[in-house]
Amino acid sequence: MTIESELESIFPSNKDDPSNLGLRLGIIVGGSLSKGLTVKLDAGELPGSMIEQLAVGRYVVVQGLTERRFFCIVTDVSLEHTNPSIESNPPETTDIYTAEIYRSTLVYGRANVAPMLVLERDSEEPRPVKTIPAHFSVVSQANEEDVARVFGKADDDHFYIGNPIEMDQVPINVNLDRFIERSSGVFGKSGTGKSFITRTLLSGIVKSGKASCLIFDMHNDYGWAIKNEHGREYKGLQQLFDANRVNVITLDPETSQTRGNRHDGALHIPYDAIEPEDIAMLAGVLTLSEVQVNALYFLRRRLGRKWLRKLLSDDEHDQTELDEFIQQGDLIKGTLGAIQRKFEIFRHMGFLQTNVREDLVETLFQKLNSGISIVLEFGIYGDNLPAYMFVANYLTRRIHHRYVATKNKAFGHQGDEPNPLMIVIEEAHKFLDPEISQHTIFGTIARELRKYNVTLLVVDQRPSGIDDEVMSQIGTRVTCLLDNESDIRAVFSGVSGASALREVLARLDTQQQALIMGHAVPMPVVIRTRDYGPELYAEITGGESHDIQSDGEKVAQAKADLFG
Amino acid sequence: MLRSDTTGFTFGCLLPEPEVPLFGDFVKAPAQQGLTEIIGVIHNIVIEDDLFVRQLIAAPDLPDAYIQDQRRNRQIPIEVSVLSVGYSSGNTMIQGLPPQPPVTLDYIKRCSINDMIAFTDRQDYLALILNSKETPVDELIVAALQRASGARPIEDRALFLIQAGKELARLLSDDLSKLDSILRRIQVNT
Ligand SMILES: Nc1ncnc2c1ncn2[C@@H]1O[C@H](COP(=O)(O)OP(=O)(O)OP(=O)(O)O)[C@@H](O)[C@H]1O
Ligand SMILES: [Mg+2]
Repeated sequence: MTIESELESIFPSNKDDPSNLGLRLGIIVGGSLSKGLTVKLDAGELPGSMIEQLAVGRYVVVQGLTERRFFCIVTDVSLEHTNPSIESNPPETTDIYTAEIYRSTLVYGRANVAPMLVLERDSEEPRPVKTIPAHFSVVSQANEEDVARVFGKADDDHFYIGNPIEMDQVPINVNLDRFIERSSGVFGKSGTGKSFITRTLLSGIVKSGKASCLIFDMHNDYGWAIKNEHGREYKGLQQLFDANRVNVITLDPETSQTRGNRHDGALHIPYDAIEPEDIAMLAGVLTLSEVQVNALYFLRRRLGRKWLRKLLSDDEHDQTELDEFIQQGDLIKGTLGAIQRKFEIFRHMGFLQTNVREDLVETLFQKLNSGISIVLEFGIYGDNLPAYMFVANYLTRRIHHRYVATKNKAFGHQGDEPNPLMIVIEEAHKFLDPEISQHTIFGTIARELRKYNVTLLVVDQRPSGIDDEVMSQIGTRVTCLLDNESDIRAVFSGVSGASALREVLARLDTQQQALIMGHAVPMPVVIRTRDYGPELYAEITGGESHDIQSDGEKVAQAKADLFG
Repeated sequence: MLRSDTTGFTFGCLLPEPEVPLFGDFVKAPAQQGLTEIIGVIHNIVIEDDLFVRQLIAAPDLPDAYIQDQRRNRQIPIEVSVLSVGYSSGNTMIQGLPPQPPVTLDYIKRCSINDMIAFTDRQDYLALILNSKETPVDELIVAALQRASGARPIEDRALFLIQAGKELARLLSDDLSKLDSILRRIQVNT
């Protein structure tokens, strides 16, 4: 009996089909559950080359001693040696022989991998790790089957949003139920693909019918066709779905018209419906002091529903009424003056009108509740942050209010519950900044989770500006490249063990790559986001698509729906 | 065979012989009544002096022809020391010290090319050489590898030397300067 066969009889090696294992990379030599595992890389076919092939963010599988398979993600790679004098006396560059020998013995590559999931012996379903593999367990590249098993198949509940790096054939799917179940976020520097990935996610959610979306579309990214910086045109949601699924409402009908964007209606807000609460959140951007904000409440109380109109009015009669407050000592002249000066900005918001025919809030609520998603296009107001925040706040407060009422009325009767709603906001840190998030509707929605079937999808390039408490409620985080330290820290806040992924995040490509982690995926994953293009259109529209109903007809129908 | 112990043995022969033993040569000697064959590497060759040589050196003005004649025809006894590095038992080659040293007066043979290739297929004998106290270890390793590599077809030599080099690197991981000097000489000499 040879030594090997003797050993084999004592420790039968795993009889798993070897084709099941990807390329062997090395063995586990140390580590911990919290800090990650250390892998000593094999020298490899071309000694030392392994390290160059092992990108941060890749998946590896560790075959444990007890037939457990651990899925891990590579978080760091480094060069190591067994003898420090190699650093001072490396072999000559021309001495290929010595270099090759050193590379296969005295120096080696090391990878740090974070264990994420474990597949138990007879189970098909991977679970979060609570143990780690034994010393010297073999580490191999995760093969496509492994990854596919972890992320499941695309179906009605799982939407395909990209592929792992260097695994073009393996789809990564997000669990849509879980994605909308809690608030989610899309983060990344400017130009990294936030809007594209958001549009992809939205198309999946709208298609699934799992939630309606109310999209505050600051930069006209989601409704109608979008041109990218190379002049290529991409379809907006309105082109992918018929009017029973997506309506576009604009705040700026003129621009929408001249740009050829079709819309299904224009939004007007009556002055008299505006409450101080709708404006208080703008205190930051309008630089309103606390005294000035309090004055708003006072004015509303004393002037009644017409308070804002009177405040902005040039009418002498109105002005006298205001002056009286000063004379009576209820208001300081300076305060009133400052408010009026700062409120000048509302005069430029063309969507604010004295007479509005219809209560659009109620119409929007009915639409959202019946499963129609709404894209609110800002047109020229996109660059006007106060306008954006004002409208988002105004509508969200009221629609949320309607949701709360409906939900409370349903009182547990599933059928009467409002249709789940996901509200999409950009520049989210302006709404969720720690100073105001306590008081604003958006902070409330993020914190109350899905109690009233309303969640947020925040799109932001400065996650560090978002209140920590809100951030920790964000269930699924889709993060494109971020390079600011505090932003990186912010997206990982409240994610256990994710600090190991920081390197991964900082190394993403500048476009179309994202790290997805949290509620909607079984483990963090770096993907190349799916191309937003014809293939996706075809999937969304179900092949030859909705061309049966022309775009023109669609708009007409939506308009009819909206305005009767 | 003159003397032996577990770690090696010494044999004598006469010069000239058709095959002059060389430093670093692989040789084999029977042991355990022919059950095993011990494989060793020559690490020392001593030419013994004798009375006659002393007399010759002492004698003044020896004619050159005389010296040549002595060299060519006189049987000079030499003593060859071998370091045991392994043994073969049946068809398997084992790298390590043999269970028993060869017995005196047994006949020592040089390893055939095939023996050498088979034996040096694994590199564990290098540890035995490195651990031996008495020999100029570095030189012996270089010479032995030169022999073992030379036994192989040209296309196999590079790979063989890489494998041997790796084993040396493992053994000498804490003595980089020694390793470096051996590796350098392997490249120059083979
Ligand atoms: N999935 C994708 N399919 C096709 N192109 C993409 C994709 N993702 C990103 N791109 C390319 O990257 C460019 C930038 O993407 P995008 O406009 O989404 O960035 P952003 O993060 O929203 O930027 P900003 O912060 O300026 O709004 C796009 O114009 C497009 O060319
Ligand atoms: Mg964008």
